[in-house]
Amino acid sequence: MSELRLENVRKEFGSETAVSELSLTADGDLLVLVGPSGCGKSTTLRMIAGLEQPTDGKIFIDGEDVTRRSPSGRSIAMVFQNYALYRTMNVRKNIGYGLKHSSALSKSERIEKVEEIAEMFGISELLDREVSALSGGQKQRVALGRALVRDPDVFLLDEPLSSLDAKLRSQMRTELQRIQQELGVTTIYVTHDQKEAMTMSDRLAVMNDGELQQIGSPEATYVRPENRFVASFLGSPAMNFLDIDVERRNGHTRYLLDSHELVRVSDDTQAIDRPIQLGIRPEDLTLLDDPDDGATTGTVRHVEYQGNDSFVRLEVNGRIVTCVVPASVRPRQGDSVGLNFPPDQIHLFDMDAGDAIRSPSVDASDTRIETGPSTTEGNETDSRGANR
Amino acid sequence: MTVRENVANGFRIVLDGHRRSSLLSRIGFYVATALTLLFSLYPFYVMFITSISTNESLYSRDRGVIPKSFTLEHYEVIFGSGSFPVQTYFWNSLSVALVTSVIALVVSILGAYSFTRLDYPGGTLIRRGIIVVYMLAAITLVIPLFQLLVRFDLVDTKTSLYITYTVKTLPLTLYILWNYFRSIPVEIEEAAFIDGYSRLETIARVIVPVSLPVLVAAFLFSFKIAWNEYLFASVFLQSEALYTLPIGIETLDSAFQNVWGEIMAASIITTLPIIVMFLYLEKYMVEGLTAGAVEG
Repeated sequence: MSELRLENVRKEFGSETAVSELSLTADGDLLVLVGPSGCGKSTTLRMIAGLEQPTDGKIFIDGEDVTRRSPSGRSIAMVFQNYALYRTMNVRKNIGYGLKHSSALSKSERIEKVEEIAEMFGISELLDREVSALSGGQKQRVALGRALVRDPDVFLLDEPLSSLDAKLRSQMRTELQRIQQELGVTTIYVTHDQKEAMTMSDRLAVMNDGELQQIGSPEATYVRPENRFVASFLGSPAMNFLDIDVERRNGHTRYLLDSHELVRVSDDTQAIDRPIQLGIRPEDLTLLDDPDDGATTGTVRHVEYQGNDSFVRLEVNGRIVTCVVPASVRPRQGDSVGLNFPPDQIHLFDMDAGDAIRSPSVDASDTRIETGPSTTEGNETDSRGANR
Repeated sequence: MTVRENVANGFRIVLDGHRRSSLLSRIGFYVATALTLLFSLYPFYVMFITSISTNESLYSRDRGVIPKSFTLEHYEVIFGSGSFPVQTYFWNSLSVALVTSVIALVVSILGAYSFTRLDYPGGTLIRRGIIVVYMLAAITLVIPLFQLLVRFDLVDTKTSLYITYTVKTLPLTLYILWNYFRSIPVEIEEAAFIDGYSRLETIARVIVPVSLPVLVAAFLFSFKIAWNEYLFASVFLQSEALYTLPIGIETLDSAFQNVWGEIMAASIITTLPIIVMFLYLEKYMVEGLTAGAVEG
């Protein structure tokens, strides 16, 4: 296991800052860099690989400063989105080509190594084929084999699965995770697909505009996003955001949407005197068939049936709110339904800076279990009762 | 697919498409095709027929399109008489064309690569400059080039042709390779860098093999330009021992009387190598020019 450390790494292209003041560490785990295109994640990966020079900052592998070393001098291996195989060579040569330079192995050892890695990726019978005769999935396996055959200290993957079809992609995801765990090699995986990032990563680093937004376990990042960008980027359908007013009265804090009370919380001690946005995940909202007077209501505008659940788009006071409901709940377009905002699932963000002011306080796994519809409905009724 | 197959295919498409269309448009198509072929092939026909016609039939008044008698006497004169050293001219042409094409190819591989992959001061200026040089007519370059050759004492040497032909063909080969190299994904090279290859090794082991068909095309164009060049050779060369075929043919005019048969026979000899070479290398070229996806 080798430790990869980035210290205040910055990269400028002319006057454009692609990556600014990035510091992170990875050690034997699978760290996924995720963000929209142009967020600097690929540039970061290319700097780790040595294909780009940082404008400032340092990169360490196993405590050694490799910032100025050539790509081949830093014990990394990289897999590209478009495979980048040598198309004039067969599979065996593609995998073994780098070994000649990067290792002191004898010819027979190299042959052995190539066969070993081919077996690992299930491509032994393809070794003597030309790469142009392979399917996309097979090419990607060859590319992975070519990278890992060199026993790299750090394994870099730049959107390796995005050229594959959905089924093959999920299959390769599992396989990659398995191999990564087996080898325990420090792995940096770049993707723009937040779902892929969540399912694969040991740790997740969310980037935007060249800046690291948040780093942590996928669960922690999802449940307690540190800012509005992270909150909106992770999760599909995306988190709902509503511009609200905050009112404090009699030890309660009320969150108002156009002076209509959405939620009331009692525990909020933070003084909030700036514009606020409320965030709530679609799956945390519950629909109420038979809402009380004064409950938040919305009109169903659109229902997307997903098989195991449905996405319901509601119009609430002129805003569109998305809600995920079980497939058994089938509201019809035009229906008026009640909407429950569970107080313990509410995120609050500073309107201007976007920083999180309040996040759900409980641990991710606990929240999921505790938040049954009956509990939240109960809370809702209670709070409304007290309000009247 | 070869050019022949391409053409056959084109015909099939047009004819199939016209099966349902009017007789008139079909006739239009045939007439256009026939005219095109007539204009492009007739000169070759005349060249060939003239080279095998007897002098009597060549210079007679009632000479038809198809000659009445054939002879190889013009070829015998070309090869047999000492006054037209065809072997010398042929080897001169061949060496000039080969040396030029090889230099042009090597320089343009490196140059085109630098255009697509490297950022250096003045890069844009050089790229534009090459296009501008390509646009200039050869005649405008003759005098400045001649002055340079005089200064370096290279007039009446083969080196003068090596240099000036390379100058002439380089813009074209650079342009062909530049366009192709742009389509090669940079990741293939980056994979090679990570595998430990230097930039020059990467060019030699990754870029060149992948670009082979286009290199053949560039070589062929460059060879053809150098082989057929007349203007520079006629100005820069003085000794007959250095003459290339195109200016060698010109000397026939003063060496013999009734020269047309000999001139055409020499022209056939000059044209044949290019045609043979084209037919042989054509399949690589078409592959190169139609090759789309480069990645493995």
